[in-house]
Amino acid sequence: MRLKIGRAVGLAALLATTAALAQSKPVAGEVAEGSLKGKTLTFVSYGGIYQDGQIAALKEFIDKSGVQLLSDGPTETSKLQAQVESGNVTWDVVDTADFPPYVYCGKLFQKLDFSKIDISNIPEGQVSECSVPAMNYGVVLMYKNETYKDNPPKSWADFFDTEKFPGSRAIEGSGDFSGGFMEQALLASGQPVDNLTVADIDKAVEKIKAIGPDTIFWKTGAESQQLAESGEADMIAMWTGRAMTAVKNGAAYTPVWQDWLVVMDQLTIPMGVKDPDAAHALINAYLGKASQETLAKTTSYTPIHKDAKPEVDEITAAFMTNTPDKLKVGYQQNIKFWVANFEAANEKWSAMLAGN
Amino acid sequence: MARTGTTAMDSLANNAPAVPASERGTQRMADQPFWLVVPALVLLVGVLGVPLAIIVIRSFAEPDWGLQNYAWFFNSPVNLTVLQRTFTISAWVTLVCVACGYPYAYVMTVVGPRLRLLLILCVLVPFWVSGVVRTLAWVILLQDSGVINSILRGVGFGAVKLIRTQTGVVIGMAQVLLPFMILPLYSVMKTIDLRLMQAARSLGASPARAFVQVYMPLSLPGVYAGAIIVFILALGFYITPALLGGPRSTMLSTLIQNQVLSLLNWGRGGAMGVVLLVATFVLLAIAMPLMRQPHRRGRDA
Repeated sequence: MRLKIGRAVGLAALLATTAALAQSKPVAGEVAEGSLKGKTLTFVSYGGIYQDGQIAALKEFIDKSGVQLLSDGPTETSKLQAQVESGNVTWDVVDTADFPPYVYCGKLFQKLDFSKIDISNIPEGQVSECSVPAMNYGVVLMYKNETYKDNPPKSWADFFDTEKFPGSRAIEGSGDFSGGFMEQALLASGQPVDNLTVADIDKAVEKIKAIGPDTIFWKTGAESQQLAESGEADMIAMWTGRAMTAVKNGAAYTPVWQDWLVVMDQLTIPMGVKDPDAAHALINAYLGKASQETLAKTTSYTPIHKDAKPEVDEITAAFMTNTPDKLKVGYQQNIKFWVANFEAANEKWSAMLAGN
Repeated sequence: MARTGTTAMDSLANNAPAVPASERGTQRMADQPFWLVVPALVLLVGVLGVPLAIIVIRSFAEPDWGLQNYAWFFNSPVNLTVLQRTFTISAWVTLVCVACGYPYAYVMTVVGPRLRLLLILCVLVPFWVSGVVRTLAWVILLQDSGVINSILRGVGFGAVKLIRTQTGVVIGMAQVLLPFMILPLYSVMKTIDLRLMQAARSLGASPARAFVQVYMPLSLPGVYAGAIIVFILALGFYITPALLGGPRSTMLSTLIQNQVLSLLNWGRGGAMGVVLLVATFVLLAIAMPLMRQPHRRGRDA
């Protein structure tokens, strides 16, 4: 018993020192004991196993800081807009898709204070003024083994080449356009993407339309998975998480990793939250190595801590996007261009989805 | 639904003129039913009227005051195509619902109580299942590698393109909306005295003629009520066209969703909603008198 008390005291002392250190310079994953006692934070994400996994990743943070964590969702930027406009913001930390923190930085999302968040372990090029990544995934080209046998597609260029590679195609049509996919369409039509202009948006859309009238635009991740599992399409541009689940469920498809499109969810803090410090503390804890390993294990999304080594099964590991070989062939969209031309691109993309 | 709306409005209008003091005593009794409506009215105004007013105001006020959102709507060919398509698809869905619902409701009125219960259950049970689940079931049935096409191929026919076409959307929507057609039809049909048909037959009418001249006019109020409900609900459909349709069957709700949720352009989204609402009202205003006439003739007969 005495031994246990001794150990507890030692541990407390250790925690106290780390807490003191944390105050001067934050360390990802750490939070001062009892520092948020009596406070409440609302964490907003997309629900399902994803949000459950995120909450599981924050368990240590909750226990240690004494914060009461509420969960809400799904994230809808329009709901957030209504909260910010009415001056009654109840969402403290919000998980969003990749574009909103860039498009609405300083309007709906506040600029983050990076003296309170340790971003040293996040893969390069993923932090913005108003966001840090929440996890990584990708859009990967999946082809049907039976259709292509010995002559499978090897790149997005083959995806757009319906002469050499006949067969049906499925593309994401669930919401915002994918800048990376538009750029691949341009590259496939022989157009460089170093200096994108507004006219290029039309060219990209034309190239996508040229695949033909039978192109399937899937509306939900579940739908894309169903397309693979029933063998409905010959090539599918799919989220890695759904691709993995489809393969686990027996879909006979193979991923093409060349130029897989890097995608991420973002963590943000809305304008006008009541306790920005507490929100920053949550994000800092979320970015920790142990938290990221828990997140990856529970959701099979790729962690955004460089050193995270989650224990996952073979298929899940095969679809993790943070291995050196995959990072080498990943394709990052020109986010600056797409954010600057968000409305024009969105309009042209949704016109295409509406059959015009 | 539409009819209760008008009666409530009528009673409101009738109560409006000032009443001479001498008549107030007798009027009090007549006033009472109106006060009973107040909670419902408050609720309607609060949860329906106010948000609708906000949508209308924002459609004129954002980003600046003026007609810019409406100008944008009518200058964009996508919007006009999709608006027209929304009405076309809804009309087809209504037609399919009438074609399937009419005989079904008729059978419900002539069979015994046990079979009737079974028929009602067949209508209502799918009604209680989530729309998304039912739509996904249709995906599995209609897709190229799906049940229907497998059977067709097995029997030796070629595959038919069902999913991601307007046909697929109409099939899926009609199934979801069928109860809204069958229930009003049944409630009207069960009040029709079947002896009228016998009377017509005894006076020398052929079965077809007896049906067309006697039964059908009497059942038309049910057809109209069901058709209006189905048509209006169909105009706002979102998930079924999204999952069963392709680009050529996108409906207006999908475009509104994109404006509001993706672009945060509530002004444009509001304008699209208002255009749809006004177009619906105009269409109903044209259709209503046409519907009333045969209905009266039916009553007179």
